[in-house]
Amino acid sequence: MSFVQFKNVRKVYKTGEIEIQALSDVNFEIEKGEFCVIVGASGAGKTTILNILGGMDTLTSGSAMLDGQEISRFNKKQLTAYRRYDVGFVFQFYNLVQNLTALENVELAAQICRDPLDAETVLRQVGLAERIRNFPAQLSGGEQQRVAIARALAKNPKLLLCDEPTGALDYNTGKAVLKLLQDTCREKGMTVVVITHNSALAAMADRIITVRSGTVEDMRLNHNIMNVEDLEW
Amino acid sequence: MKATALREIKGSFGRFAAILSIIALGVGFFSGVRITTPAMIDTLGGFLKDHEFYDYRLVSSVGWDDKDVKAFADEDDVRFAEGSNSYDVQFIRDEDNEKKVIDDADKFVLKVHSLPKKVNTVDLRSGRLPKHAGECVTDASAGLEIGDRILLTDGNEEDTVDILAFEELRVVGTVYSPLYIHWERGNTSIGSGNLSGFAYVLPEDFDTDVYSEIYVKLDNDDTIYSDDYKDFMDSHKALWEVIAEEQAEIRCERVRTDAEKEIEDGRDELKKARDEGEKKLEEAEDKLIDAKEELDDAKKELDDAEKEIRKNEKKLKKAKKELDDGEEQLAEGKEQLDSAKKQLSQSGTQLDAAKTQLDNAQAQLNIGRQQIDAATLALDASKQQLDSAGKQIADGEAQLTDGENKLAEGEKQIADGEAQIADGEKQLADAEKQIADGEKQLAEGEKQIADSEKQIADGEQQLADAEQEYIDKVYDALDEVLWMLDADQKAELLSNSLTTPEEVVTAVFGYLTSSQQTQLVEAKQKIAEGKLTLEKSRAELEAGKKEVAENKKLIEEKKKELEAGKKELEANKKLLEEKRAEFEAGKEQYQQGLSQYNDGLETYRSSVTQYTDGLTQYGDGITQYNNGKFEYDQGLKQYNEGKEQYEENKKLLEEAKKQYEEGKAALKEGKKQFEDGKKKYEEGLAEYRSGLNEYNSGRMELDKQIANAERELADGEKELDDIEDAEGFLLDRSTNVGYACFENDSEIVAQVSRVFPVFFVLVAALVCMTTMSRMVEEQRTQIGMFKALGYSNAAIMGKFMFYAGSAAVIGCIAGYIAGIIAFPYIIWMSYTLMYLKLPISIIFDPSLALMALAASLLCSVGMTWVSCRHELDETAAELMRPKAPKAGKRVFLERITFIWKHMKFLHKVSVRNIFRYKRRLFMMIVGISGCTALLLTGFGVKDSVGGFGDVQYDEIFVADGDVHFSSEDNGEPSAKLTKALESNTSAYKLMYNSAWDMLYGKEEEKVKAVDVIAPEDFEGMDKFFRFVTNDGTETVAPPEKDEAIISTSLRDRYGVKIGDELTLRELHLYVTGVFDNHVYNYVFTNKQTVEDQLDESVDFNYAFVNFPEGVKESEAAAGISQNKNVRNVSVSSEVRERMNNTMGSLDYVVLLIIICAAGLAFIVIYNLTNINITERLREIATIKVLGFFRRETSAYVLRENVALTAAGIAVGLVLGIFLHRFVMAQIVVDQVSFKTRILPISYLYSVVLTFLFNFIVNIFMEIKLDRINMAESLKSVD
Repeated sequence: MSFVQFKNVRKVYKTGEIEIQALSDVNFEIEKGEFCVIVGASGAGKTTILNILGGMDTLTSGSAMLDGQEISRFNKKQLTAYRRYDVGFVFQFYNLVQNLTALENVELAAQICRDPLDAETVLRQVGLAERIRNFPAQLSGGEQQRVAIARALAKNPKLLLCDEPTGALDYNTGKAVLKLLQDTCREKGMTVVVITHNSALAAMADRIITVRSGTVEDMRLNHNIMNVEDLEW
Repeated sequence: MKATALREIKGSFGRFAAILSIIALGVGFFSGVRITTPAMIDTLGGFLKDHEFYDYRLVSSVGWDDKDVKAFADEDDVRFAEGSNSYDVQFIRDEDNEKKVIDDADKFVLKVHSLPKKVNTVDLRSGRLPKHAGECVTDASAGLEIGDRILLTDGNEEDTVDILAFEELRVVGTVYSPLYIHWERGNTSIGSGNLSGFAYVLPEDFDTDVYSEIYVKLDNDDTIYSDDYKDFMDSHKALWEVIAEEQAEIRCERVRTDAEKEIEDGRDELKKARDEGEKKLEEAEDKLIDAKEELDDAKKELDDAEKEIRKNEKKLKKAKKELDDGEEQLAEGKEQLDSAKKQLSQSGTQLDAAKTQLDNAQAQLNIGRQQIDAATLALDASKQQLDSAGKQIADGEAQLTDGENKLAEGEKQIADGEAQIADGEKQLADAEKQIADGEKQLAEGEKQIADSEKQIADGEQQLADAEQEYIDKVYDALDEVLWMLDADQKAELLSNSLTTPEEVVTAVFGYLTSSQQTQLVEAKQKIAEGKLTLEKSRAELEAGKKEVAENKKLIEEKKKELEAGKKELEANKKLLEEKRAEFEAGKEQYQQGLSQYNDGLETYRSSVTQYTDGLTQYGDGITQYNNGKFEYDQGLKQYNEGKEQYEENKKLLEEAKKQYEEGKAALKEGKKQFEDGKKKYEEGLAEYRSGLNEYNSGRMELDKQIANAERELADGEKELDDIEDAEGFLLDRSTNVGYACFENDSEIVAQVSRVFPVFFVLVAALVCMTTMSRMVEEQRTQIGMFKALGYSNAAIMGKFMFYAGSAAVIGCIAGYIAGIIAFPYIIWMSYTLMYLKLPISIIFDPSLALMALAASLLCSVGMTWVSCRHELDETAAELMRPKAPKAGKRVFLERITFIWKHMKFLHKVSVRNIFRYKRRLFMMIVGISGCTALLLTGFGVKDSVGGFGDVQYDEIFVADGDVHFSSEDNGEPSAKLTKALESNTSAYKLMYNSAWDMLYGKEEEKVKAVDVIAPEDFEGMDKFFRFVTNDGTETVAPPEKDEAIISTSLRDRYGVKIGDELTLRELHLYVTGVFDNHVYNYVFTNKQTVEDQLDESVDFNYAFVNFPEGVKESEAAAGISQNKNVRNVSVSSEVRERMNNTMGSLDYVVLLIIICAAGLAFIVIYNLTNINITERLREIATIKVLGFFRRETSAYVLRENVALTAAGIAVGLVLGIFLHRFVMAQIVVDQVSFKTRILPISYLYSVVLTFLFNFIVNIFMEIKLDRINMAESLKSVD
C-alpha cells in the first residue's frame, strides 16, 4: 500500500442553504520518500486536499490514508495528535510567531514532539546559523520561510506539506527554498508534498498530481526530474 | 457607508456590546453615585418644603403672643409666621396606669406641640388629625397606636401642668413631622431624660395665650443645604437678629405695661374691696355687742348657780382629788407597779430572759449545776479521781519508786541469790567432798573396827590361852603341891573348894616354891593384864564402832543435808528464775507504769487545768447566777411588796371610790339643774359666738384676700422687675438635629462619588480605545480601499465614530437610567433606618445626563478619533499594504538569565507576550485591580460596618450590660438596689453618667451632646470597659483630676485632640487620652472632678454590670430592672444584636459594589481577551496546526490572562485598602464610629471572586479558541 492514499474523497462545504462541492472523487497515492507536487489553478481544490491531508479539515466521504492510518476517521483529538507527530507544515506566509526568535519558533514546534531534531542543528542545516537569535521581523522573506521549513523539519514528521512555499518569495529566494525542500527529500528520505499553482515546479517532482475543478485530473510519475537550478518560470 | 457601519455592528456585536456595556457601567455608576445625594436631599427636602419647614425659630424668655406673631408675619419676605407651644410631658399608657405597680419604665416623655397650620405642618401617615381637645397625633415611631389613651403622670413640672388643659390624650393618628426627620428625638430634663417621641395636640389644649416659640417660614423655596439657601439665609440673618431682638423688647415692654396696669387695677380693686368689707363688718359688730349684753345677764344668774355647784363640786373635787390622788397614787403605784411590773416584767422579761437565760443558765446552770454537780461530782470525782489520780500517781510514784527499789532489790536479791546459789553450789560441792571423805574415813574406821575385832578376838584367844596356861600351871602347881604335900595338907588343901583356879591358887599358893609362886603370880598378872588390854581393846573397838556408827549417821545426815541443800538450791534457782521473770515483768510493768504515769500525769495536768478552768467558770457562773438570782429575788420581793401595797391601796381606794360615787350622784342632780341653765346660756352664747365667728371669719377672709391680693401684686411687681432682662433668640434650621445630621449623612455618598467614577471612566476610556484601535487596525485595508475610492477622511472616520458613538449613546442612556434609579433606591434603603421612611425621589438631572453623555462620547468617539487619525494620515496605498506585524522584542526578564533559564519554554513565550502589548497590560491591570479594589472595599465596608458592634462589645465595652438608675438623696443607690445589683451581677461599678453639651469648633460655636461617664476611680474598670488606643496596642491611662479621656469619634469628627481643653458647658477638662470606641461619644473623667468643677455633689446614676455565669442575662437584667429606682437596664448582647441588624442593610450597598465590580471585571477581561485573540488569530491558528492540543492552546493564550489577573489583583489589593479607608472616612453616622478594618476572609473573597470572573471569561474564550479555523492561518494577510 502506498504511503499516502486518497480514495474517492469528496468534500462539500455547507454555508446555510448553499452547498459547495470542493472536492469530488479524488483519488491519488504518494509513495514514501517521494517529492510530490500537486499543481492546479486557484480554486481547483488543492488547498482543500492539503487541509485534509494535513489533518486540518475533514472530508465528507471517501477515505484518506497515511502510512496505514485512516486519517479520515480520526476525531478531533486524534487529528491534533496526527498534526503534532506526523505532519510538518510550510505556509505561504511563513506564519512564524512574531514574538519568538528564529530558534524559539523552531523550538516551539520541537518541544511538543516525541522525537524532535535539535532546533539549532536544523536551523544550521537550512543555513540560518547566523540568524537564530533574530526575531522574524528582522529576517527577510526567504529567511523566514527557511525558519518555517526548519520548524516543520524539527518535528521530524513523516510528511512535509508545503502550501505555495515560494508564493511570497522572489524568484531566486523561491528557488533556494525549493532547493532546500528537494535536498531535504533526497537527503533525509522525507516525503514532501508541495502545493503550487506554478506548473513549472512540477518538473522537479517525482510525482505530479494535477488538480482541476475539485478532482484529480492527472497523476503521473516524473521520469525526467530536473534540478531546481534548472527550473525556469 | 451607513450600511457598512450597521453591518459592522452586526458583524462584531461582541465588540459593540463591550463598548456599550462598559459605557453603561461607567455612566450608571457615575450618575448613580452622583445622583444619590441630590436624590436623597430632594426626597427629604421635598418633604420639608411640602410641609413648610421653618427658616427661623424665634424664642424669647417671656414667650410671645399673637401681636408678636403678627409683627413677624408683617416683615418682608415672610411667607408664614406661626406661634407654637411645645412642652416636654411625661405620660403613661392608660392600661399601664391600671397596673398595681407602675414601673418607671412604663413612663415616657413626649414633646407635645400645638398642631401647626402653616409652618412645620405634619404629614398624616395613618388615622386622622385631632379635631377635638384631648386628641393627639403622635410620632409614627413612638410605639403608640391609634386608639391608645395616655395619661399625665405626676412626674411633670408644675409649670407645665398648669399650662396643659388636658389630663389625658387619645391617639387619633400618626404623623411624620418635618421637625423630626432623624430617628433621634433628643433629650429632656424630666423622666428618663430621653424623649420617646412627639405628639401634636390642638392649640386649645394649651391653656395659655403665650406661645413658647414662633416659627417663621420665609418666602424662599431653595433646595435645602444649597448655597442659594445658605446665601439667602446669610443675607437675612443680621436683619432678623435685630427683628427678633426688637420684637422681644416690644413684647417685654408690653408684658411689663400690662403687668403694671394689672397691678394698678389690682390695687384699686383691693382698696374698694377693703372699704366695703370694713363697713359690713362694723354693722355686724354693733349687732354682736347687743347680743353680748343679754348674754352677760344670763351669765350672772348662771354664775350664782354655778357658785353653789362649785362649792359642792369643790367638795366633790376634793373628794375627787383625794380619790384622784388616791387613784393617782394608785395609778402612780400602779404605774410604779406597772413600771415595776414593767421593770419586773422587763426585768421579768429580762429576768425571764435572764430567767430563760438563767433558766437556760439555770438549765444550763442546772445542766451547769448538774454539770457542775456532775462537774462537781465530776470535779469531785475528777478531783477524787485527780486526787486518787494524784494519789495514784503518788502511789504510782511510790509504787514506781518501790518498784524501782524492789526492782533494784530484786536485782540485788537476784544477784545475791545468784551469789548464794553459787555459794550453795560451792558448799554443796564441799559437802559432797566431805561426805566423800567421811565415807572414806568411815570405810577406814570399819576396817579398823574389823581389825580391832580381829585383834580382840586374837587377844581373847591369847587370854583364853593365858588362862588355860595359868589354870594348867595352877593345876600343875596343885598337882606338884599335892605331890609334895602330905596328905593332910593335901586333905586340907583338897578340903578347900578347888573348882576355880583362883581357889586352887589361893589354896595352893602357900605350898608352892617362890619361883612357882612368881610364875603363877606373873601368869596371873599376865592374864589380868591381857584381860585388861583386851578389855581396853574391846572398849576401844566399841568406841571405834560407836564412832563409825556415829560417823555413818553423820554422813547420812550430811548426805541428807546435801540433798536438801541441793533441793534448796534448785528451788532457789527456780525462785531466782521466777524472780528474774518477775523482775522482767516488773520492769516492763514499770516501764508501762512509767509511761502510764507520764500519760496520767499529762492527763492529770490537763485535767487539773480543765478542772481549774471549769472551777473558775463554775465559780463565775455561780456568781452570775447568784447575782442574777439575788437581783431577781430582790426584784421579786420588791414587786411582791409593791403588789401587796398596791392591793391594799386598791382596797382603800375602792372604798373611797364608793363614797365618792355617792357624792357624785348627789352632785349630778345639782349639776343637771345647772346644766339645763347652762345649756340655755350656752345656746345663747353659741349664737353669739357664731355671730362672732362669722364676724371674725369675715374679717379674716377680708384680711386674707387683701393679703393675697397684695402678695399677687408684689409678685406681679417682682415679675415686672424680672422682665427687664428678657431677650429674643433667633434659631435657624441648623439647630434642628435631623436637619443638621442629614446634611452630613447625605454627603457620604457624594464624597464616595468623587472617587469611584474615576475608575470607571478610566476603564471605559481604555476599553474604548483598545477596542476601537483594534477595529481600525482590522479594517485598515478597507479604509485604504475607501480612501482609494475617493471617500473623504471625515466620511471614513464617520463610520467608526458612528460605531463607537452609537454604542456610547445607547450605553449611556441605559446606564444613566439604571444608575439614577438603582443607586439612590438601594442606598436610600439603608438611610431610611435613620430617617423618615419616605419613598426616594428619582431625579433626572439633565446636566448630569449631558455630562455623562459627553464623557462617554469622549471616551468612545474621542478615542476612535485618536486611533483613526494616524491611520487616515497614511496614503491609501500604504493602508492597503498589510501593516508590518509588531516586531518581537526581548523583555527585561531575559536579561536575568538565572530566572529566564529556569523558565519553561511556553512560559517564556507568555512573559514576552505580556510585555509585548503594553497598553493591554496596563488596561488589564487597571481593570482587574479596579475590580479587586471594589470588591475589597465592598467587603471591607461590610466588615467595618457590620463588625463594629462585635468589636465594641467583644473588645471594648466588655461589660455584660449597663444600668441607669436614680439614687437616694445621699447620692448612693438605695439599699434594695444595691442588694438587687449584688444578687444579680457578678460584678458592677457605680458611676455618674449624663449627657453634656460639648462645645467645639474654632470658637466653640458648635454643640454636640456627649456621654460623660465619671466613676469614682478606675480600679477594676478592665472588667467593664477597656481603654486602648486605636491600633489596639497601648492602654490609655485613666484620667487624673481635671482630666478626661475621650473616644476616638470625638477626635476624628470634632477635632478634639490630646492636650486640648474639652469644654462641656460648665466642665473644663484636659484631654489626656483617646481610646478606641465605636458606639456613642464617650468622655470618661472622674466623679470628683465633676463635683469639684460643678461645686456640688452628683449622684451615682449609672453602673456597668457583669452578669454571673450560668445565669440567663435577660433574667439577671430583669432582676435588676424590677427595682423601682432603675430606669433602664440594657444587655450588651442585645444592643449588639440590634446594631448588627441595623447595619445589615449595608449588605445592599455591598451587593451593589460587588455587582459593579463583577461587571467591570467581565467587561475588561472579556474585551481584552477578545482583542488579544483576534489580534493573534494567525498565531493561534498556526499553533493549532502545529498540533497543540486544545488545553495547550488555551493555556498558551490564557496564561497571559491569568498572569495579568494575578498582577491586577495584587495592585487591586493595595488600591482596595486605600479605597476602603477613604470610603470609611466618608461614612459618618452619628453616635457610631466604625472600626475601619478588612478581615482576612474579605481579602480571600476579593481574590477568589476576581479569579472566578477571570475563570468564567476564560471558559468563554476557550470556546472561542476552539472555534478558530486553522485554515485561517493559510489565508493571505488581507
